Amino acid sequence: MGKNTLKLETSGFSDLIEKIKAVNGNVKKAVDDALTQAGETITVDTLEALDNAYLPAKGKYSKEATKESVVQNPAVVWHGDTAEIAVGFDYGKKGAGGLLITGTPKMKPDKELQEIYKKKRYINEIHKDIENVLNDYVQEAGG
Amino acid sequence: MEDNLISILESFGFPVFRQGSLNPSDRYPDTFFTFWNNSENGHSFYDNDVVLIDWDFDVNIYSNNPDLVYTLQKQTRKKLKNSNWIILQYGSDIPSDEITHIGRGMRVAYINKEV
Repeated sequence: MGKNTLKLETSGFSDLIEKIKAVNGNVKKAVDDALTQAGETITVDTLEALDNAYLPAKGKYSKEATKESVVQNPAVVWHGDTAEIAVGFDYGKKGAGGLLITGTPKMKPDKELQEIYKKKRYINEIHKDIENVLNDYVQEAGG
Repeated sequence: MEDNLISILESFGFPVFRQGSLNPSDRYPDTFFTFWNNSENGHSFYDNDVVLIDWDFDVNIYSNNPDLVYTLQKQTRKKLKNSNWIILQYGSDIPSDEITHIGRGMRVAYINKEV
C-alpha cells in the first residue's frame, strides 16, 4: 500500500554516524530512535492539521476516516545503509487524505499539511531533531 | 516565475488553472493543467541579503485519456528542462475530483537571481 515515505539516508548524517562509531556506539539503535521520534512528530503534526482541515462530515472524506488513514507507529525499515520510515497517509485505507496535500482542481491544498509535506522549513526542522538525537548518542557513548 | 511556468504550460494548447480554482459545479475540460506554488524561498545569501530565489511548484495534468496524461507529462518535463526548470519529482499519481479523469503530478523548481 502506498504511503508518503520519509527517508533518512545515513550519508546525510555521515559525520555524526562516524562519531557514534568512533565511540563504539550502536549506530542502528541511534538511527532507529532518531527516525522513530521524527515519525512520531510528523504523525502528531499531521493529526493536528487534520483537526483544522475542511473535511465534510458526509461523503468520501470524513474527518474520522481520514484520521484513521494516517500512518501511526511506523516501523523503521533498513535497506543496506539506508533507513526509512513511512509517514503520512496510507492510501490503501478508505478516506486517505493524500488529496489534502496535493489538492485537486476543485480544492486547494490544505495549508497546514502543505507546511508538513511540502515546505523545506519543516523538513529542515525534522532533520535538526534527528541530528539532536544522534548527537545525544555520541554524548552518551562518551564522545 | 509563475508567469513563465504558465506560459510554458499554455504552449501545449490545453487550459491551465491554479490548483483548487475550479468551482465545484465546473465540468472538467477533457485535458488540462493545474499548478500550485509550494514556496518561494531565499536560496543563497550574501551580506545579509538574498542573492538567489528558489521557486517550488507542483505541476499537475488531468485527462480523461490516460495515455495522453503520461505522454503530455513527459513532453512537459522536457520543455520545462529546456527552459531551465529543475525537475524535483518526475511523476506521481494524484487524486482527481472526477472519476472520469486521472491525474499525474510532478514537482519543479527554478532558481534565479533576486530582482
